[in-house]
Amino acid sequence: MGKLERIAARQDRSAGLGPTRRGFLLTAAGSAFLFGFARSAKAAPVFPQAAADLPEAGAFEPTLWCSIAPDGWVNINIIRAEMGQHIGTALARIIADEMEADWDKVRITYVDTDPKWGLMVTGGSWSVWMTWDQFRQAGAAARTVMVAEGAKLLGVAPAACVARNGHVIAGQRSIAYGDIVSRAHPTRSFTPEEMAKLPLKPASERRLIGKQVRALDIPAKTDGTAVYGIDAKLEGMVYARPKLPPTRYGAKVVSVDETEAKKVKGYIRHIVLEDPSGTVPGWVAVLASSYPAAIRATDALKVTWEAGPTAHVSEHDIIEHGRAQIANKEGGSCVFNDDGVDEAFAHAEKVVEHTYTCSSVLHYQLEPLNALARLHEGKWEVHCGNQWQSLFLPVIAKALGVPETDVVMRSYMLGGGFGRRLNGDYAVPAALISKALGGKPVKLIFTRSDDVQYDSIRSPSIQTVRAAMTKDGAFQGWQHHAAAGWPTRVMAAAFMEKGADGKPYDQFAIAGADHWYTVGPMRVRALDNDLADATFRPGWLRSVSSGWTPWAHESFLDEVAHDIGKDPVSLRLSLLISKGRNAGSAPDSVGGASRQAAVLKRLAEKCGYGRTDLPADTGIGIATTFGQERGMPTWTAGAARVRVDRRTGVVTCEKIWLVLDAGTVIDPDGATAQTEGGALWGLSMALFEGTEIENGNVRDRNLDTYTPLRIADVPDMDIEFLPSTEKPMGLGEPGVTTIAPAIGNAIFNAVGVRLRHLPIRPADVLAGLNKAG
Amino acid sequence: MGVGVGVIKRFLAGAAAVGTVAGLGFLYYTWYPALPSVAPPAAGTFTPEQIERGRIVAAEGYCAECHTRTDGTPGPELAGDYRMETPFGAIHSSNITPDVATGIGSWSEAAFKRAMRLGVSREGEHLIPAFPYDHFTKMTDQDLSDLYAFLMTRPAVHLEPRPNELPFPLSLRIMQAGWKLMFFSPGEYKPDPSHDALWNRGAYLAEGNAHCGACHTPRNFMGAEKKSAQYDGAVVDNWIAPPLNEHNPTPTTWTEEELFQYLRFGVAPLHGPAGGPMSPVPHRFLSTVPEEDVRAIAHYYADIDHAAERSKHDPAALALAMEQSRAGLIGPNPDPDAKLYQGACAACHYNAAPAPVLGRPELALNNALWLDEPTNLFQVMLHGLSAEEGQSGVAMPSFYNALSDADMARIAAYLRRTRTTLPPWTDLEKKAAAVRSTVQSVPVNSSH
Amino acid sequence: MITFKLNGRDVSIDVPEDTPLLWALRDDLDLTGTKFGCGVGQCGACTVLVGGRATRSCITPMSSIEGADITTIEGLDPQGQHPVQEAWKDIQVPQCGYCQSGQIMQAVSLLKDYPDPTDEEIDGVMGGSLCRCMTYVRIRKAIKKAAAALRAQTSGKETSHG
Repeated sequence: MGKLERIAARQDRSAGLGPTRRGFLLTAAGSAFLFGFARSAKAAPVFPQAAADLPEAGAFEPTLWCSIAPDGWVNINIIRAEMGQHIGTALARIIADEMEADWDKVRITYVDTDPKWGLMVTGGSWSVWMTWDQFRQAGAAARTVMVAEGAKLLGVAPAACVARNGHVIAGQRSIAYGDIVSRAHPTRSFTPEEMAKLPLKPASERRLIGKQVRALDIPAKTDGTAVYGIDAKLEGMVYARPKLPPTRYGAKVVSVDETEAKKVKGYIRHIVLEDPSGTVPGWVAVLASSYPAAIRATDALKVTWEAGPTAHVSEHDIIEHGRAQIANKEGGSCVFNDDGVDEAFAHAEKVVEHTYTCSSVLHYQLEPLNALARLHEGKWEVHCGNQWQSLFLPVIAKALGVPETDVVMRSYMLGGGFGRRLNGDYAVPAALISKALGGKPVKLIFTRSDDVQYDSIRSPSIQTVRAAMTKDGAFQGWQHHAAAGWPTRVMAAAFMEKGADGKPYDQFAIAGADHWYTVGPMRVRALDNDLADATFRPGWLRSVSSGWTPWAHESFLDEVAHDIGKDPVSLRLSLLISKGRNAGSAPDSVGGASRQAAVLKRLAEKCGYGRTDLPADTGIGIATTFGQERGMPTWTAGAARVRVDRRTGVVTCEKIWLVLDAGTVIDPDGATAQTEGGALWGLSMALFEGTEIENGNVRDRNLDTYTPLRIADVPDMDIEFLPSTEKPMGLGEPGVTTIAPAIGNAIFNAVGVRLRHLPIRPADVLAGLNKAG
Repeated sequence: MGVGVGVIKRFLAGAAAVGTVAGLGFLYYTWYPALPSVAPPAAGTFTPEQIERGRIVAAEGYCAECHTRTDGTPGPELAGDYRMETPFGAIHSSNITPDVATGIGSWSEAAFKRAMRLGVSREGEHLIPAFPYDHFTKMTDQDLSDLYAFLMTRPAVHLEPRPNELPFPLSLRIMQAGWKLMFFSPGEYKPDPSHDALWNRGAYLAEGNAHCGACHTPRNFMGAEKKSAQYDGAVVDNWIAPPLNEHNPTPTTWTEEELFQYLRFGVAPLHGPAGGPMSPVPHRFLSTVPEEDVRAIAHYYADIDHAAERSKHDPAALALAMEQSRAGLIGPNPDPDAKLYQGACAACHYNAAPAPVLGRPELALNNALWLDEPTNLFQVMLHGLSAEEGQSGVAMPSFYNALSDADMARIAAYLRRTRTTLPPWTDLEKKAAAVRSTVQSVPVNSSH
Repeated sequence: MITFKLNGRDVSIDVPEDTPLLWALRDDLDLTGTKFGCGVGQCGACTVLVGGRATRSCITPMSSIEGADITTIEGLDPQGQHPVQEAWKDIQVPQCGYCQSGQIMQAVSLLKDYPDPTDEEIDGVMGGSLCRCMTYVRIRKAIKKAAAALRAQTSGKETSHG
């Protein structure tokens, strides 16, 4: 059982579902959500024929996940958030392939929250990996019934039939799935145990998986009909904007003066939010009849707060706090704490140590936070795009003081997730405002700077890597200490992993450091930077810690390689050995470190690593990771070619190469798209974007000073997936992971300057060049 | 905002000074009699052709711009009460509709012509030189008759302009007389035989009725146009009216065609659109008059700025500008100032060789970047341009809320650095704040 | 009351003059395809065409568009099949899709000015449109594909008229 499956089981238990989910026929389907809701008639539904009344009368629904209607349309229920990964298309394809459905008659429904769905979370690049077995089994169940019933109708034995493209075929004769449903009225359903025993198609028989298929969500995203949370509208709703306190925590409203706000036409009132869930302490909401009026009135409303204790905290304070935590041998939790690590360092002929830091990073997902809430027919509805409904539905319930069963979250497209909407804090104030209005619908929208001010940022981090080595450069021990804010402690403490020492830790603030190199006994220690946690709400941001831990250890490995006079690629290959902990295991990491070695070898060939004919001040650097997390490795190797302008210190990334082994690739085009996007995020965080905490808040609030990568900054990219029939792994995030260290290593190869802080700014490069003389 | 608001500030300063200098004796020379009040001309007094000619004269003199209320509830056209804020107090323009009680309904044609030529009201009072009679004096008798015909056939509007708020002694009309004595030389335009008819037509319109120098010529300490610095450019309404002569700093010349396009349609292919107080000149007025007249004005100024000889450098200047236009935008660039320009401006202002695309005003060629001060650049950033201004039907957003003073300063410095060959501007943030403080209507802020 | 042309129809709406066009479109005219992104005219998600030119609606006050001709993503083509939209689908450009209305409107405007755009021209004009999913590689490809389709369309028209 994988990590997420364990989490899912845990959550199911907490939802009273027990370890086995219901696999039987469910006829109630009130939770299917119709896109196009509350829109004028010309607005088309987002997905092919998505309808509110699924499953249609007479539909056959062998599992919770799919149904076949008498007209032959297959509906597939998607519990994941659609935020650009075309996840509905990818997941539907898994079922459709296994059940031999006609892809032109497949539609998908993005469902609202309901305990029957189990854990609703979209993040960590987990979706395909988590759903792979379940959806193939669901498809097999449907196919099994279609073949059995179809054979009966055709008057032949099931063994004489094949299922293909929505039909059951026996020789020259065939019958369509829809006809089977309308004539035979099948009702059979399957328990998970039964489903697990169903025979699955061999990889060679796959007809949709791995093939080019158009994403179902794309057409609506080209004509303005796609409906995002911010587009939701209800009759009679009022608009609200938050008035944010000076600190994320601990601020108290002292007084409110609405004299000026009252002069704004359309102003209704303000509400000082009382939040039993503690999510939005000291927040005030301003209500108006239109959003522009809400904006104006919020500006005009004068609120005096008593600030919380972090009002003067700076980025520097947080980093220095982390530095002190690392210096202290006590504290934190160890992911790895192998026997003999202390001895190795005590007796090492040589100890190499370097410290690496990363700045705060904003999500800046393009759709600002928003939520629409109301009380409707006895239930609190929250309409918004969200990545982790299972986490925040209970928080909303607590804030409202109602049982969880009285709250439902309705699903919408997300105008970008990148982890920001795993934290559903923005839904809480909407619910509280509606409650203060007796359940009236209210639409809360954050302006961009509101959104950014209390973004759940990627925490600044500090990491120290140490290696115990022999004189001739052999590794004898390894330590990696990382201090950062811990999103999982702050928002989902129950989901924290337990370390080797039994203490809980945030896997998303250390994953990546638990690498697959054989370097002697290892200690990988995660430290919760509590000053960060107290100052802001640390967030999960695309590739979470694997976006920054490789910055440390992959830079470090190059530093060591240069130090001992070895080629950085050969050095890594010599450490990637499929033995012991790094041997890998079925089904997730078959082959272990050897697969990481394979992507690295292929990459080095492709990028011409080590070539000596590059122009002056130009260099290629490489880095390799296992993608997202050790339990779900997407073997990744990345290279960057950079040119350094010695006069200005500007680093230009000219080309990126990536080689990945993600197991079976469901959707090749989508996989490439995700990896392109990931790589450019990696590049953006390496060279273009980053902020700092100043006076308890992020310094940069909008694009005038926060400068993510834009189209002109895009280098050439060469992305390759190694063929594989292993279990599919995640792809949303691995693209990010290698880019920053590859660039850092390339800069060193170009001009001999080693940088240890992200993002890399021209001034740092110039300082390095000056120091080097 | 109108073409005349800024003019008055200089006049009043001058008037105050003269008021103290002048002795009683000069009253004798500056005394004019009241002319008799007459009944408004009866219907049918003027031919439709004459009225139409008068319409054109009115348009070429922009009468409606300064004789129509714009603050508060906009007023009826030509009924006056246009408010001009000055450091000495506000003044309000007169009603020039034929209303007997509040307008010029009782003015004879002679009284009207005297006002235009000498700056004296029917009642014999000196008019404040915000009324640019120093230009109108050059108009032909025929044009004045036609203008009279046009004005007297407008609907009479009963509207008493608000009283002026000038302090004593500026409030005394006689105080204007001294100024007149020192700086005013009456007389109709005399054609220059060394130039052709087109040039002379342009000069007649530009120097007379169209009163271009009122904004584009700097004024002396008493508010009179400096003859020695004619068309050197001046500050008007917190904008800079750029030089119209060879001192115009843009790298490509204002040629006759550039000027014509600008004056006729509000946008010059290379130099960009008309903004601020200049905007109504093409859109409200010169687009409604005979094309030859606009051509003539353009022809005249192309001569004033020596376009014929200066424009030989234009191809090289244009090529350089096209190179500058792409600076910082092509290929990776982490420079925060370039990124700000890229995000906020470049989507509309980027141009590629060989020449700017209509609708993509090229900043490397625009007056705003080449003037001694960033005033116009800041004005346009803060106000944007409505669909009725600049290029017709196209709007530039208002960056009032989108850019802080510091952001505006960064963009100004960046553009000056990368798109001109001139020394940097100074105190940019302070200047941005100063221009910001003049913005009257602030749009809703979606961003913060 | 502000009167203008919207997607080919005459529209008059009674909103305060200082209201940004974006909110009038989204909230008063129910055209939610135009998106709110940065609010400072620097991400491009709110881009619409005013007089045929790409314009950031989030900072364009209603007072500025009196009499103007405005096209939003909904009005680009009755079937959503403008060559730029078709190219966007063929190349599978959108990920989250939130910026794409703006990207498409900006691209339509780009292709009017530069019918056969170079990479530099694409950088120069599209640099103001932020895509947080970083679909830039595909945006570039789709623009070139749309450009070719539009040129073919134009030359076809010329032939039929000539």
